[in-house]
Amino acid sequence: MIRCEDVLREVSNYIDTEVTEDLRHQIEEHLRGCHNCTVLVSTTRKTVSLLSSSRILELPSDVSQRLMQRLAVHWS
Amino acid sequence: MKPEPNGDLSQASDEELVRLVCLGKRELFGHLVGRYQRSVYHIVQGILGNPADSEEVLQESFLKALQHIGGFRGEAQFRTWLTRIAINEARMRLRKYRPKLHDSIDEAPEEGMDMRPRELRDWQPNPEEKLAEAELARLLEKAIRALPSIYREVLVLRDLEHLSNEEAAQALGISLPATKARLLRARLMMRDYLTPHFQHRWHHRLLDRFAQLRRHP
Repeated sequence: MIRCEDVLREVSNYIDTEVTEDLRHQIEEHLRGCHNCTVLVSTTRKTVSLLSSSRILELPSDVSQRLMQRLAVHWS
Repeated sequence: MKPEPNGDLSQASDEELVRLVCLGKRELFGHLVGRYQRSVYHIVQGILGNPADSEEVLQESFLKALQHIGGFRGEAQFRTWLTRIAINEARMRLRKYRPKLHDSIDEAPEEGMDMRPRELRDWQPNPEEKLAEAELARLLEKAIRALPSIYREVLVLRDLEHLSNEEAAQALGISLPATKARLLRARLMMRDYLTPHFQHRWHHRLLDRFAQLRRHP
Protein backbone atom coordinates (compact mmCIF):
# COMPACT_ATOMS: atom_id res chain seq x y z
CA MET A 1 0.00 0.00 0.00
CA ILE A 2 1.51 3.28 -1.12
CA ARG A 3 1.77 6.15 1.38
CA CYS A 4 1.87 9.95 1.06
CA GLU A 5 5.67 9.92 1.58
CA ASP A 6 6.02 7.57 -1.41
CA VAL A 7 3.95 9.90 -3.61
CA LEU A 8 6.09 12.83 -2.46
CA ARG A 9 9.26 10.93 -3.36
CA GLU A 10 7.94 9.96 -6.79
CA VAL A 11 5.95 13.05 -7.78
CA SER A 12 8.62 14.35 -10.13
CA ASN A 13 9.13 10.98 -11.85
CA TYR A 14 5.35 10.53 -12.03
CA ILE A 15 4.92 13.88 -13.80
CA ASP A 16 7.69 12.91 -16.23
CA THR A 17 5.99 9.51 -16.78
CA GLU A 18 9.19 7.88 -15.59
CA VAL A 19 7.59 5.41 -13.19
CA THR A 20 6.69 1.80 -13.87
CA GLU A 21 3.15 0.95 -14.92
CA ASP A 22 2.58 -0.76 -11.58
CA LEU A 23 3.75 2.25 -9.56
CA ARG A 24 1.68 4.59 -11.73
CA HIS A 25 -1.47 2.54 -10.92
CA GLN A 26 -0.63 2.55 -7.21
CA ILE A 27 -0.09 6.32 -7.20
CA GLU A 28 -3.35 6.93 -9.07
CA GLU A 29 -5.21 4.66 -6.69
CA HIS A 30 -3.77 6.64 -3.75
CA LEU A 31 -4.65 9.97 -5.39
CA ARG A 32 -8.32 8.98 -5.64
CA GLY A 33 -8.53 8.95 -1.85
CA CYS A 34 -6.01 11.61 -0.85
CA HIS A 35 -6.77 15.30 -1.37
CA ASN A 36 -3.34 16.49 -0.16
CA CYS A 37 -1.44 14.32 -2.64
CA THR A 38 -3.81 15.32 -5.45
CA VAL A 39 -3.01 18.97 -4.73
CA LEU A 40 0.70 18.13 -4.53
CA VAL A 41 0.68 16.44 -7.94
CA SER A 42 -1.46 19.05 -9.69
CA THR A 43 0.45 22.06 -8.38
CA THR A 44 3.86 20.49 -9.02
CA ARG A 45 2.72 19.64 -12.55
CA LYS A 46 1.56 23.23 -13.00
CA THR A 47 4.93 24.51 -11.73
CA VAL A 48 6.71 22.49 -14.40
CA SER A 49 4.29 23.63 -17.07
CA LEU A 50 4.67 27.33 -16.13
CA LEU A 51 8.45 26.97 -16.45
CA SER A 52 8.20 25.10 -19.75
CA SER A 53 5.95 27.64 -21.40
CA SER A 54 7.52 30.78 -19.96
CA ARG A 55 9.56 33.24 -21.95
CA ILE A 56 12.19 33.95 -19.35
CA LEU A 57 15.92 34.55 -19.63
CA GLU A 58 15.63 35.41 -23.32
CA LEU A 59 18.79 36.16 -25.28
CA PRO A 60 18.90 39.88 -26.17
CA SER A 61 19.84 40.52 -29.82
CA ASP A 62 22.77 42.80 -28.94
CA VAL A 63 24.24 40.06 -26.74
CA SER A 64 24.00 37.69 -29.70
CA GLN A 65 25.68 40.20 -32.02
CA ARG A 66 28.59 40.78 -29.63
CA LEU A 67 29.03 37.03 -29.23
CA MET A 68 29.33 36.54 -32.99
CA GLN A 69 31.71 39.51 -33.28
CA ARG A 70 34.00 38.14 -30.58
CA LEU A 71 34.01 34.64 -32.07
CA ALA A 72 34.44 35.80 -35.67
CA VAL A 73 37.98 36.99 -34.80
CA HIS A 74 38.88 33.34 -34.33
CA TRP A 75 37.79 32.14 -37.75
CA SER A 76 38.42 35.09 -40.04
CA MET B 1 30.90 32.75 -44.65
CA LYS B 2 32.08 31.00 -47.82
CA PRO B 3 29.51 29.19 -49.95
CA GLU B 4 29.83 25.44 -49.55
CA PRO B 5 30.06 23.08 -52.50
CA ASN B 6 27.60 20.73 -50.77
CA GLY B 7 25.01 23.49 -50.51
CA ASP B 8 23.06 24.57 -47.46
CA LEU B 9 24.82 23.58 -44.25
CA SER B 10 22.09 24.95 -42.03
CA GLN B 11 20.51 21.49 -42.24
CA ALA B 12 23.75 19.61 -41.48
CA SER B 13 23.92 17.61 -38.25
CA ASP B 14 25.94 18.95 -35.32
CA GLU B 15 28.42 16.10 -35.73
CA GLU B 16 28.95 16.91 -39.42
CA LEU B 17 29.55 20.58 -38.60
CA VAL B 18 31.99 19.64 -35.83
CA ARG B 19 33.85 17.38 -38.28
CA LEU B 20 34.15 20.21 -40.84
CA VAL B 21 35.25 22.73 -38.18
CA CYS B 22 37.94 20.27 -37.09
CA LEU B 23 39.06 19.98 -40.73
CA GLY B 24 39.76 23.72 -40.72
CA LYS B 25 36.46 25.25 -41.77
CA ARG B 26 36.34 27.15 -38.51
CA GLU B 27 33.80 29.67 -39.78
CA LEU B 28 31.20 26.88 -39.79
CA PHE B 29 31.29 27.03 -35.99
CA GLY B 30 28.94 30.00 -36.51
CA HIS B 31 26.15 27.54 -37.38
CA LEU B 32 26.63 25.77 -34.05
CA VAL B 33 26.64 29.11 -32.24
CA GLY B 34 23.39 30.04 -33.98
CA ARG B 35 21.80 26.78 -32.88
CA TYR B 36 22.81 26.88 -29.23
CA GLN B 37 23.47 30.48 -28.18
CA ARG B 38 19.97 30.89 -26.77
CA SER B 39 20.19 27.65 -24.84
CA VAL B 40 23.65 28.41 -23.43
CA TYR B 41 22.52 31.90 -22.44
CA HIS B 42 19.47 30.42 -20.74
CA ILE B 43 21.66 28.08 -18.74
CA VAL B 44 24.32 30.57 -17.66
CA GLN B 45 21.75 33.27 -16.95
CA GLY B 46 19.74 30.72 -14.94
CA ILE B 47 22.81 29.84 -12.88
CA LEU B 48 24.31 33.33 -12.53
CA GLY B 49 21.28 35.60 -12.67
CA ASN B 50 23.34 38.59 -13.71
CA PRO B 51 23.13 39.74 -17.35
CA ALA B 52 26.68 41.16 -17.52
CA ASP B 53 28.29 38.02 -16.08
CA SER B 54 26.04 35.84 -18.22
CA GLU B 55 27.16 37.58 -21.40
CA GLU B 56 30.83 37.12 -20.55
CA VAL B 57 30.34 33.49 -19.59
CA LEU B 58 28.33 32.92 -22.79
CA GLN B 59 31.28 34.21 -24.82
CA GLU B 60 33.86 32.28 -22.78
CA SER B 61 31.85 29.06 -23.16
CA PHE B 62 31.74 29.24 -26.96
CA LEU B 63 35.39 30.32 -27.15
CA LYS B 64 36.39 27.35 -25.01
CA ALA B 65 34.25 25.02 -27.11
CA LEU B 66 35.93 26.30 -30.29
CA GLN B 67 39.40 25.98 -28.78
CA HIS B 68 38.77 22.42 -27.58
CA ILE B 69 36.57 21.18 -30.38
CA GLY B 70 39.29 18.75 -31.44
CA GLY B 71 38.76 17.03 -28.09
CA PHE B 72 35.07 16.40 -28.76
CA ARG B 73 34.93 12.65 -29.32
CA GLY B 74 31.23 12.21 -29.85
CA GLU B 75 30.65 10.11 -26.72
CA ALA B 76 27.94 12.59 -25.80
CA GLN B 77 25.89 14.77 -28.12
CA PHE B 78 27.53 18.08 -29.05
CA ARG B 79 24.83 19.98 -27.17
CA THR B 80 25.50 18.05 -23.97
CA TRP B 81 29.27 18.58 -24.33
CA LEU B 82 28.74 22.32 -24.88
CA THR B 83 26.30 22.51 -21.97
CA ARG B 84 28.88 20.91 -19.70
CA ILE B 85 31.44 23.54 -20.71
CA ALA B 86 28.91 26.33 -20.05
CA ILE B 87 27.99 24.93 -16.62
CA ASN B 88 31.65 24.67 -15.63
CA GLU B 89 32.32 28.23 -16.78
CA ALA B 90 29.29 29.50 -14.85
CA ARG B 91 30.33 27.58 -11.72
CA MET B 92 33.83 29.06 -11.93
CA ARG B 93 32.33 32.52 -12.15
CA LEU B 94 30.15 31.86 -9.09
CA ARG B 95 33.17 30.65 -7.12
CA LYS B 96 35.12 33.71 -8.04
CA TYR B 97 32.54 35.79 -6.20
CA ARG B 98 31.73 33.37 -3.44
CA PRO B 99 34.79 31.18 -2.77
CA LYS B 100 33.50 30.18 0.65
CA LEU B 101 30.50 28.52 -0.96
CA HIS B 102 32.77 26.34 -3.09
CA ASP B 103 32.16 23.17 -1.05
CA SER B 104 28.50 23.66 -0.36
CA ILE B 105 27.73 24.14 -4.06
CA ASP B 106 29.07 20.70 -4.92
CA GLU B 107 28.31 18.84 -1.76
CA ALA B 108 24.88 19.90 -0.61
CA PRO B 109 23.12 16.92 0.97
CA GLU B 110 21.00 14.90 -1.45
CA GLU B 111 19.04 12.92 1.10
CA GLY B 112 17.82 13.17 4.63
CA MET B 113 16.31 16.64 4.39
CA ASP B 114 12.64 17.06 5.12
CA MET B 115 11.08 17.44 1.71
CA ARG B 116 7.53 17.82 2.86
CA PRO B 117 6.06 20.86 1.11
CA ARG B 118 5.09 23.50 3.61
CA GLU B 119 2.02 24.59 1.67
CA LEU B 120 -0.54 22.12 0.47
CA ARG B 121 -3.11 24.64 -0.58
CA ASP B 122 -4.48 24.24 -4.03
CA TRP B 123 -3.87 26.78 -6.77
CA GLN B 124 -6.34 28.68 -8.89
CA PRO B 125 -7.28 26.74 -12.05
CA ASN B 126 -5.26 28.96 -14.44
CA PRO B 127 -2.53 30.72 -12.49
CA GLU B 128 -0.85 32.04 -15.66
CA GLU B 129 -3.96 34.16 -16.29
CA LYS B 130 -3.51 35.97 -13.01
CA LEU B 131 -0.34 37.72 -14.09
CA ALA B 132 0.78 39.47 -17.25
CA GLU B 133 3.39 37.51 -19.21
CA ALA B 134 6.26 39.80 -18.18
CA GLU B 135 5.17 39.75 -14.55
CA LEU B 136 5.01 35.96 -14.57
CA ALA B 137 8.49 35.79 -16.14
CA ARG B 138 9.86 38.06 -13.40
CA LEU B 139 8.26 35.94 -10.70
CA LEU B 140 9.67 32.72 -12.17
CA GLU B 141 13.14 34.24 -12.50
CA LYS B 142 13.00 35.37 -8.89
CA ALA B 143 11.90 31.90 -7.80
CA ILE B 144 14.73 30.25 -9.74
CA ARG B 145 17.19 32.73 -8.23
CA ALA B 146 16.01 31.73 -4.74
CA LEU B 147 17.10 28.10 -5.27
CA PRO B 148 20.52 26.86 -4.13
CA SER B 149 22.71 26.55 -7.20
CA ILE B 150 22.73 22.75 -7.52
CA TYR B 151 18.93 22.82 -7.78
CA ARG B 152 18.91 25.82 -10.08
CA GLU B 153 21.23 24.03 -12.51
CA VAL B 154 19.12 20.91 -12.84
CA LEU B 155 15.85 22.84 -13.05
CA VAL B 156 17.13 25.04 -15.87
CA LEU B 157 18.43 22.04 -17.83
CA ARG B 158 15.30 19.94 -17.41
CA ASP B 159 12.36 22.34 -17.25
CA LEU B 160 13.59 25.31 -19.26
CA GLU B 161 15.91 23.65 -21.74
CA HIS B 162 14.11 20.31 -21.88
CA LEU B 163 17.19 18.13 -21.74
CA SER B 164 16.37 14.53 -20.79
CA ASN B 165 17.37 13.28 -17.33
CA GLU B 166 20.22 11.35 -18.96
CA GLU B 167 21.51 14.41 -20.84
CA ALA B 168 21.24 16.58 -17.73
CA ALA B 169 23.17 13.97 -15.71
CA GLN B 170 25.93 13.94 -18.34
CA ALA B 171 26.07 17.73 -18.53
CA LEU B 172 26.19 18.07 -14.74
CA GLY B 173 28.68 15.21 -14.33
CA ILE B 174 26.51 13.45 -11.74
CA SER B 175 24.62 10.14 -11.64
CA LEU B 176 21.10 9.66 -12.99
CA PRO B 177 19.60 9.01 -9.51
CA ALA B 178 21.30 12.15 -8.15
CA THR B 179 19.91 14.15 -11.08
CA LYS B 180 16.38 12.92 -10.40
CA ALA B 181 16.73 13.55 -6.66
CA ARG B 182 17.88 17.12 -7.25
CA LEU B 183 15.13 17.72 -9.79
CA LEU B 184 12.48 16.52 -7.34
CA ARG B 185 13.81 18.85 -4.65
CA ALA B 186 14.09 21.75 -7.12
CA ARG B 187 10.52 21.37 -8.37
CA LEU B 188 9.12 21.12 -4.84
CA MET B 189 11.01 24.24 -3.79
CA MET B 190 9.72 26.10 -6.85
CA ARG B 191 6.21 24.95 -6.05
CA ASP B 192 6.55 26.17 -2.44
CA TYR B 193 7.83 29.51 -3.64
CA LEU B 194 5.01 30.01 -6.13
CA THR B 195 2.14 28.76 -3.97
CA PRO B 196 1.46 32.03 -2.06
CA HIS B 197 1.15 33.79 -5.43
CA PHE B 198 -1.30 31.34 -6.95
CA GLN B 199 -3.22 29.74 -4.13
CA HIS B 200 -6.97 29.74 -4.04
CA ARG B 201 -8.51 32.64 -2.20
CA TRP B 202 -10.39 31.61 0.95
CA HIS B 203 -13.82 32.07 -0.64
CA HIS B 204 -12.80 29.86 -3.58
CA ARG B 205 -11.68 27.21 -1.12
CA LEU B 206 -15.00 27.47 0.65
CA LEU B 207 -16.91 27.10 -2.64
CA ASP B 208 -14.77 24.05 -3.52
CA ARG B 209 -15.54 22.54 -0.13
CA PHE B 210 -19.29 23.04 -0.69
CA ALA B 211 -19.00 21.50 -4.14
CA GLN B 212 -17.21 18.48 -2.62
CA LEU B 213 -19.88 18.10 0.05
CA ARG B 214 -22.61 18.21 -2.56
CA ARG B 215 -20.87 15.48 -4.56
CA HIS B 216 -20.10 13.34 -1.46
CA PRO B 217 -22.50 14.44 1.28
